[in-house]
Amino acid sequence: MFGKSKKANSYQLVGRKVPYLFISPWIIGFLVFTLGPLAFSLVMSFFDWPITSDATFIGIDNYKKMFTNDPQFYKSLWITLKFAAIFVPLNLVIALILALLITQPVKGMKFFRTIFYMPAVVSGVAISIIWGWIFNSEYGILNYILSLIGIDGPRWLIDPKWAILTIVIASAWGVGTMMLIFYTDIKGIPAEIYEAAAIDGASPLRQFISITIPSITPTILFNVITSVIAALQQLTLVILLTGGGPLKSTYFYGLYVFNNAFKHHRLGYASANAWFMFIVILILTMIIFKSSSTWVFYENEVKKEGKKKK
Amino acid sequence: MKMSKKHKVIIYGLLGLFSLYFLLPFVWVILSALKTQAEVFSFPPKIFPKVPQWHNFVDAWNSQPFGTYLMNSVIVTVMTTLGQLISCSLVAYGFARYDFKYKNILFVLLLATMMIPWDVTMIPLYMEFNLFGWINTLKPLIVPAFFGSAYYIFLLRQFLMNIPKDLENAARIDGANEFQIFFKIFVPIMKAPLILIAVLNILLVWNDYLGPLIYLQDQSKYTLALGLAAFKGVHTLQILPIMAITLVMIVPPVVVFLFAQKYIVEGTSGSIK
Amino acid sequence: MKLVKSILSVAIASGLLLAGCSSSSGNGGSDKTADGKVKIRFATWDVGDDVKLQQGLIDKFNETHKDINVVLEAYGSDYDTKITAGMGAKDAPDVMYMWNYPQYKDALEPLDSYIEKEGAEYKDNFYETLWNYNSVDEKVLGLPVGYTTHVVYYNKALFDQAGVEYPKAGWTWEDLQATAKKLTNKETKVTGFAFSGKPDPYDFEMYLWGNNAAYVDKNGKLKGNLDSKKSVDVFEMFQKMEKSGIAITSEGSGDTEMKSGKVAMFVYGAWGLTPLKEAGIDYGVVELPKFKDGKSVSILSSSGISVSKDSKHKKEAFEFIKFWTNEEANKARIAFELPVLKSVVKSEKLEQDELRSVFYSMLEKSDGYTPSSFIVDDWSEVSDNLNLVFEQIFNPSSLMDPKKALSSVVE
Repeated sequence: MFGKSKKANSYQLVGRKVPYLFISPWIIGFLVFTLGPLAFSLVMSFFDWPITSDATFIGIDNYKKMFTNDPQFYKSLWITLKFAAIFVPLNLVIALILALLITQPVKGMKFFRTIFYMPAVVSGVAISIIWGWIFNSEYGILNYILSLIGIDGPRWLIDPKWAILTIVIASAWGVGTMMLIFYTDIKGIPAEIYEAAAIDGASPLRQFISITIPSITPTILFNVITSVIAALQQLTLVILLTGGGPLKSTYFYGLYVFNNAFKHHRLGYASANAWFMFIVILILTMIIFKSSSTWVFYENEVKKEGKKKK
Repeated sequence: MKMSKKHKVIIYGLLGLFSLYFLLPFVWVILSALKTQAEVFSFPPKIFPKVPQWHNFVDAWNSQPFGTYLMNSVIVTVMTTLGQLISCSLVAYGFARYDFKYKNILFVLLLATMMIPWDVTMIPLYMEFNLFGWINTLKPLIVPAFFGSAYYIFLLRQFLMNIPKDLENAARIDGANEFQIFFKIFVPIMKAPLILIAVLNILLVWNDYLGPLIYLQDQSKYTLALGLAAFKGVHTLQILPIMAITLVMIVPPVVVFLFAQKYIVEGTSGSIK
Repeated sequence: MKLVKSILSVAIASGLLLAGCSSSSGNGGSDKTADGKVKIRFATWDVGDDVKLQQGLIDKFNETHKDINVVLEAYGSDYDTKITAGMGAKDAPDVMYMWNYPQYKDALEPLDSYIEKEGAEYKDNFYETLWNYNSVDEKVLGLPVGYTTHVVYYNKALFDQAGVEYPKAGWTWEDLQATAKKLTNKETKVTGFAFSGKPDPYDFEMYLWGNNAAYVDKNGKLKGNLDSKKSVDVFEMFQKMEKSGIAITSEGSGDTEMKSGKVAMFVYGAWGLTPLKEAGIDYGVVELPKFKDGKSVSILSSSGISVSKDSKHKKEAFEFIKFWTNEEANKARIAFELPVLKSVVKSEKLEQDELRSVFYSMLEKSDGYTPSSFIVDDWSEVSDNLNLVFEQIFNPSSLMDPKKALSSVVE
């Protein structure tokens, strides 16, 4: 295509390069910092590598073992999917409710906004200690408070039935980031649209459904995808709060991979585990993305299609 | 727009309820930071310290070179935020406002980098940084930010996709070149999301623990998050200093947030849509 | 597709390049300081004041050794993650603290030839038991730095309130249970005894030893050992204490519960000495109880100091670890670590110390046992399985029958 008639096409040629110029920082970063390590880990997934000594090539044995001879693999996968199924929708809904709440024009909102955001600022080490205190079943604060009102609190971190919920409660504490993303987007919706709707007699609920939600579908898509990733890779909280217990009920996939790598020193096997999850998340993301064409509305695409129709 | 009384009551009720969930653990942290060791562990729990132990903060701060850590944290946070803002705005703009060959493949690749399991790429990345001679410097923490992170690029792209196409077409007809359009028209429009990204990045980098743990070695290079973790040993947990330093560490990101709020509130309304 | 192809080829090339680096020894950054001294990187897992003290000792070493510069790296609770990453990238510290020798043995330099040069007296001044814990396959992989045996801590105030006599060395597990029963009080929420609800299998083996059992035999076989009658008895005894309410299981090691002042006794290492004092608990320590037809024996949690196999300055590194384990250093660390040199224990009169002497008498009683972690090939995995089974036995929501649980894991 290039070089047919250089002169005539010179403007277009620049034009064609322009998008690549814009995205070039990321491409360079990808080639330098991401691609090599990623490929390395893929190569390693075909090796037996005990870290403290040399790696030996073992073909697909790691994958074979993972799928046929490691019950913990399936257990951890299942627990993680279960966690994601609770965590993702719950977090989205809470974040959205909070974002709506803090856009309400009432007094003291700046204060509440800050409070809701603050937990997201606390580092993981402190969070785990705080929740460890609160949820300790014998001498914890929560069960103490419950006992004052005559309730015999559950054994939060000891009873496998409650442990996942405990993790959900503790991780939802950091919902402030997602809230802020929704909030920024909602704030970008022009006030005139709401005013017009109010004049037409639309109730606040009606306004929310037909104005707010459609306008923020792009950020909903973003939050869905990033929280699916976060849920499937959740590690910090379980490693610090439960260590995978009780009775391995919170032995999430992230912890499974981490322990295979750093506790059992089987980095080749851990690479195979990690690559499997990588593919799972990738496929999930693609599905969500494909589906998004039916429920996400971008202003610039709406316009484009409109033109096509003409 | 006026609000009915009932409406207000519901809103304050909800605000109060959520505040309890978000604030109570905090209150407990603050109260604990002011207690003596014995008070922290006593049961039934004592709510207030008998005598507030303000010196806990001083002791914690002086127990390690936290002045140096603060300095390092500030350098890393400021530099990465700068890097992310520059690179992400360019890259996101490229993905959101142009059609080009391989765009979809490249975008999927971009998304895929968010899913990379760090456990297994960490060691090869370590080797690479070691090859560059960057281990035990702040470079591994800072330099990659100048090439953008998929999370922010994706976020910004979502905002940019939601801006009508007419905008740059009008400017093109007026004879503006592509970079003029980006700087003159889109950078101002992106103000709110860019500030959001700055806030998110500050938060993330400020608390980042694994990166510094792996790439830094001696104390003169440590960041605050590493210093905080250093109160936790294999068999020891120094609760009072952890609580005190946690509280100190919260202050800068919250102050940033207070300032940023104003700009986010202004939003992008009026200029587009 | 061309793009995909080229990306793939670049990926494979860079992956292989990195793989190449990993098998060559890598340059490990600068190994000389600016003024031409040999730089020795020393990694410690200690935190807080301990690190300050260690830095002071290092400064002393650097002052007296003009050609060596030791740099301290303190990694706290994530020590293992950090040095594992360093080893994987062929950039491990020259000198590092070590306890889990079986797992790291291939990355450590055997020290026998170095020690031989120091003469027999040098080696004899360390407690013999400690050499076992710092060797794998008859090879010494680290010099002993510190150790702890496990003892029973008891809360004097709670004993006084209940009018119960303090326990004495030579007591039995029956005595402990009787004492715990007297101390337990539902009204005041006081419990007689606390133990971990998911005990670390490494630590828990000492109870089996006390009852003349072990997890495995010499060949590392679980069957017939872990599920033997004598082993099962131990688990049943602990479970019974829990069921009858005279003991609670802890989410941790029991130290948090002890600090609350509501637990009268628990088993712990020397790590508890300072923190419990700081938490305002007036405590005493006593040897572990004996089993009826058995003994009072403790496992050792020992720490040593090792040299990386990949270090380019092993001579200097050994010079440093020798310094780190000498009398002066043992004395300097006395507030944090139980000395491992007989001469220091003698000169500091530790055998007369009310608290510390208990750890030494436990040490003498615990000679001649080898933890299963040194026998079994894949201990980290076995340990994981055991951990889960122990939890099934002690977790109040499962309380599995020990015999059934243990026989399920030996298969």
